[in-house]
Amino acid sequence: MKIQLSWLREFVDVGDPAEKIARTMSLRGFAVEGVEPLGTADAVLDFEVTANRPDCMSVVGMAREIATAYGLKMRVPPGLPLETSRASRQDPAHVRRGVRGAGSTASRDHRAVDPPTITIAIDDPGLCSRYVGLMADVTVGPSPSWMQARLQAAGIRPISNIVDVTNYVLLELGQPMHAFDFARLAGAQIRVRPARAGEAIRTLDGQTRTLSSDMLVIADGERPVAVAGVMGGADSEVSETTPTIVLESAYFDPLSVRRTSRKLGLKTEASMRFERGADPSMAALAMARAAALLEQIGAGRTRGAAIDRYPKRHKPGTLRLRRERIAGLLGAAVPDKDVRRILERLGFTPQPAAGGWRVAVPTRRVDVTREVDLIEEVARHYGFDRLPVTFPALTAAPAPPDPRITRARQLRQALTAAGFFEAVTFGFVAEAAAAPFAAAGQTVPIANPLSESFAVLRPSLLPGLVDAVAHNRRRQRADVRLFEIGARFTVSAGERRAVACACTGAAAPEHWSGASRPMDFFDLKGVVERVGEAFGLDIHTAPCDHAWLADGRRAAATADGAPVGVFGELAGSVADAHGLARGEPVYVAELDLDELERLSAGRAFRVEPLPRYPSVARDISILIADTLPAKEVRRTIREAAPPTLVRVAEFDRYQGKGIPADSVSLSLRLTFRSSDRTLTDAEVQTAMDAVMAALRDRHGAIQR
Amino acid sequence: MPAHTDHPAIKALRDLFEQQRPSATTEQALKGLRDAFLGRKSGHITEQLKRIATFPPEERRDFGAQVNALKAQIEAALDGLHDTLQAGQKPAGAVDVTLASREIPIGRIHPLMRVRQQVEDIFARMGYEILEGPEVEDDFHNFEALNMPPDHPARDMQDTLYLAAPIVGGTWGAHRGRLPKAQVRAATLLRTHTSAMQIRYMKTFPPPIRIIVPGRVYRRDNLDLSHTPMFQQFEGLVVGPHVTLADLKGTFEAMLRELFGDVKVRLRPSFFPYTEPSAEVDITCQACAGAGCGTCKHSGWLEILGSGMVHPAVFEAVGYDPEQVTGFAFGLGIERVAMLKYGVDDIRLFYENDLRFLEQFPL
Ligand SMILES: [Zn+2]
Repeated sequence: MKIQLSWLREFVDVGDPAEKIARTMSLRGFAVEGVEPLGTADAVLDFEVTANRPDCMSVVGMAREIATAYGLKMRVPPGLPLETSRASRQDPAHVRRGVRGAGSTASRDHRAVDPPTITIAIDDPGLCSRYVGLMADVTVGPSPSWMQARLQAAGIRPISNIVDVTNYVLLELGQPMHAFDFARLAGAQIRVRPARAGEAIRTLDGQTRTLSSDMLVIADGERPVAVAGVMGGADSEVSETTPTIVLESAYFDPLSVRRTSRKLGLKTEASMRFERGADPSMAALAMARAAALLEQIGAGRTRGAAIDRYPKRHKPGTLRLRRERIAGLLGAAVPDKDVRRILERLGFTPQPAAGGWRVAVPTRRVDVTREVDLIEEVARHYGFDRLPVTFPALTAAPAPPDPRITRARQLRQALTAAGFFEAVTFGFVAEAAAAPFAAAGQTVPIANPLSESFAVLRPSLLPGLVDAVAHNRRRQRADVRLFEIGARFTVSAGERRAVACACTGAAAPEHWSGASRPMDFFDLKGVVERVGEAFGLDIHTAPCDHAWLADGRRAAATADGAPVGVFGELAGSVADAHGLARGEPVYVAELDLDELERLSAGRAFRVEPLPRYPSVARDISILIADTLPAKEVRRTIREAAPPTLVRVAEFDRYQGKGIPADSVSLSLRLTFRSSDRTLTDAEVQTAMDAVMAALRDRHGAIQR
Repeated sequence: MPAHTDHPAIKALRDLFEQQRPSATTEQALKGLRDAFLGRKSGHITEQLKRIATFPPEERRDFGAQVNALKAQIEAALDGLHDTLQAGQKPAGAVDVTLASREIPIGRIHPLMRVRQQVEDIFARMGYEILEGPEVEDDFHNFEALNMPPDHPARDMQDTLYLAAPIVGGTWGAHRGRLPKAQVRAATLLRTHTSAMQIRYMKTFPPPIRIIVPGRVYRRDNLDLSHTPMFQQFEGLVVGPHVTLADLKGTFEAMLRELFGDVKVRLRPSFFPYTEPSAEVDITCQACAGAGCGTCKHSGWLEILGSGMVHPAVFEAVGYDPEQVTGFAFGLGIERVAMLKYGVDDIRLFYENDLRFLEQFPL
């Protein structure tokens, strides 16, 4: 909120320059966004007022805070019977008299013989607990330049003397006001009532708005003339020729104003104050101030007294404040005199009571409803900087971290060691980007997305990760390896954690000693197995048919028979969609961390004794059908060999010259070892014969 | 003989030798050169020696002397070359150590995770339990239990992204001897802070509590220099019979000094619905060391985290008695820390995953 320093000084005699006030107040809870000098002696301070302090969305509110911070007394400007030390504000005398009936005393000297008067009725005191109305005969014109200047400094456009007075009071006292053209109020009446469904009003901004029955309106005898607490209607707007106005100063229910403002998409100076909570005591005072200003600037004179409908009185609350509680919460005892001084300056009324005080809370302090709120007021103005620096005592053994956090660290270590950079991408993606990675109807749409590119929760980390690969490819990076750890979302599985990898380019960095080969499926498979290792799990691989992976170069990973993820070469269509060039395969993998975590739970790692006897390695080369998976060959070997076979792995695979079509030459190395003796050649040979016989029988393998 | 001039054939041969001599840079080339001039069968000098007999007797002695002199010169030169080569020869298998190395591929942890791990470590040493929670949440845990009932104006401070239809949220893994069966049954929104976990934790375990929850959070903010619709956060909670605002001050001073080095720390009153009193925590501006600059709006201070004493309404919502326990809670933006710590001026860099950015960070 922008406030001119000279205006503040009408209420508090603060000598500090604007910059210094800004620093002081930011340590009292009112950060200053900026200070703009205004001439040589004046300035505009832009205070940031937190949502809990509607009472400070005004000059008088900020002045009260400044007075408290500086230990100064509030000044009461002439014509403004402000009270700063009493919890409940008395209504100014001439308004109070008006409550008894329109035109009784204040308008004795009025010109009109039998002037028409306004009648005011409130249908639902729950939504409008107070409504003060006052008529005035006016001459519409521009307001004086000093008033215009103060409005402009606050960012409000001067319109006419009448509107400017209402805005001036809004800024000065924080009470939103409105002026109606009396002649345009049908039946000379104001009725505060719920809108009728479908009822329409053209608001001051020129828009026609359709209202619903949960909105509160100010109506005349026929139709709505204002959306209560939000904006006035254009039809009853004060014009240059308006001779008589009705001023409104009311209290509307915060929730009702908030809902209406949101529903209409209409946020105004008035709605911002009402929805945070206005001060019901201020309604009458603000009216008196507006009346005084009208006369002061020669804009008009009030006709009759104000009509004050106050069907539901707000009573100032009283709270207990315990000395011991202040010390308990702040970690330091605050001297009684400081507690009292701070509370009184802020307008609270502390009365001594057992163990502390009973404190009456002024109605404007809608944020103070509990003892702790009073303690905050004390702490704020006592100064956080005066509190000691201590450390919370440990009273129980600290618990170990979430195992998933430890695991994520292991994964980062494993994957960065494999040359992968960690990426972080957004949790939402465009619908089209998500589609290939989720079954139909499985993506989770966001109800109010920021844009189309953030329309659905990601069903996979890969769309984002592949985008990051493309980003780097466009920047001349040939070799890219990225991974990400994070959540993914589908309708049926909900939120699941995953790790994903994406890579493209050469298998090893370029070097003068020779050309490097391009990365392939098996590089990625090694990475996937490494992830499994981080969980103490063996990963098994079988072909799969995910359409977002390239046919023939895609696989499903399992551990302990449970599916844990998929990997392979990204399908050309998906790569195209991400702007990747054809002929530069991107390999991707995604594994479910929640599942891996579940499978690895409870596994304890134990060291095995080192072998005491030497091992024997034997190679075997066989000719088999090229459709036979290597896994089957290994399985046959394992089944045929004695338990002394400790390892079997293929070391060469050849197709081409000298090999019949549809066949492949596969060479495997078998390692035998016994834990209790040195194996003999004969033993190993027997085992190899059995292995070869089994390969021949089961797969028609020919030994080469 | 010095008075004599060389025979043209001798002169031609000497020139030829001088011309070919620089090419003898290897043992093999040297041997070739020696064979060409001194070879027994057809060396240039051998040929000339054979020619001596064909000269008339009066010239024979002179020519013979010239050939032998040249032969001696060439032999001496070749021996000299041989010595030089021997002296300059490298041992077998020697390499040019100045050639480029073979790069060992290694990736890097993302800078945000780097900061996150550092903060985790600091708090772990202070006895905090570190845990993660679901990213999709329900209204109760994200708002209501944190003293933000529906239509609360403070909800505007955290513009929320909602799901079109509820889904099952993720699990969380606190570890006090047992894993709670804590799954979000019907998540309706993307959490706007990780404070939702504070509620889940307090509803599961009795005080005392000392936890820190890192994770991704979401707000309806458009991408610009300082905003992203998703960012990373730390939220912490300490609850016990005598936890005070002074404790909060001490904790942050220790934590921020470790994170940023020798900085000053100050608390400024603020407002959050779930804490009372609330405080923003500032540190000395990293760009100007407190002198005042554009980064800190000439105040010398930078806001680094939001905090406060847990609001009694929050304790009541989880079934704690606010008369028996107090606590403090805080939230720290990881991007903000990383930006200040590493001098990054555009938050979007963290989400582009440009290798030229990522590889600048040390191992
Ligand atoms: Zn600075």
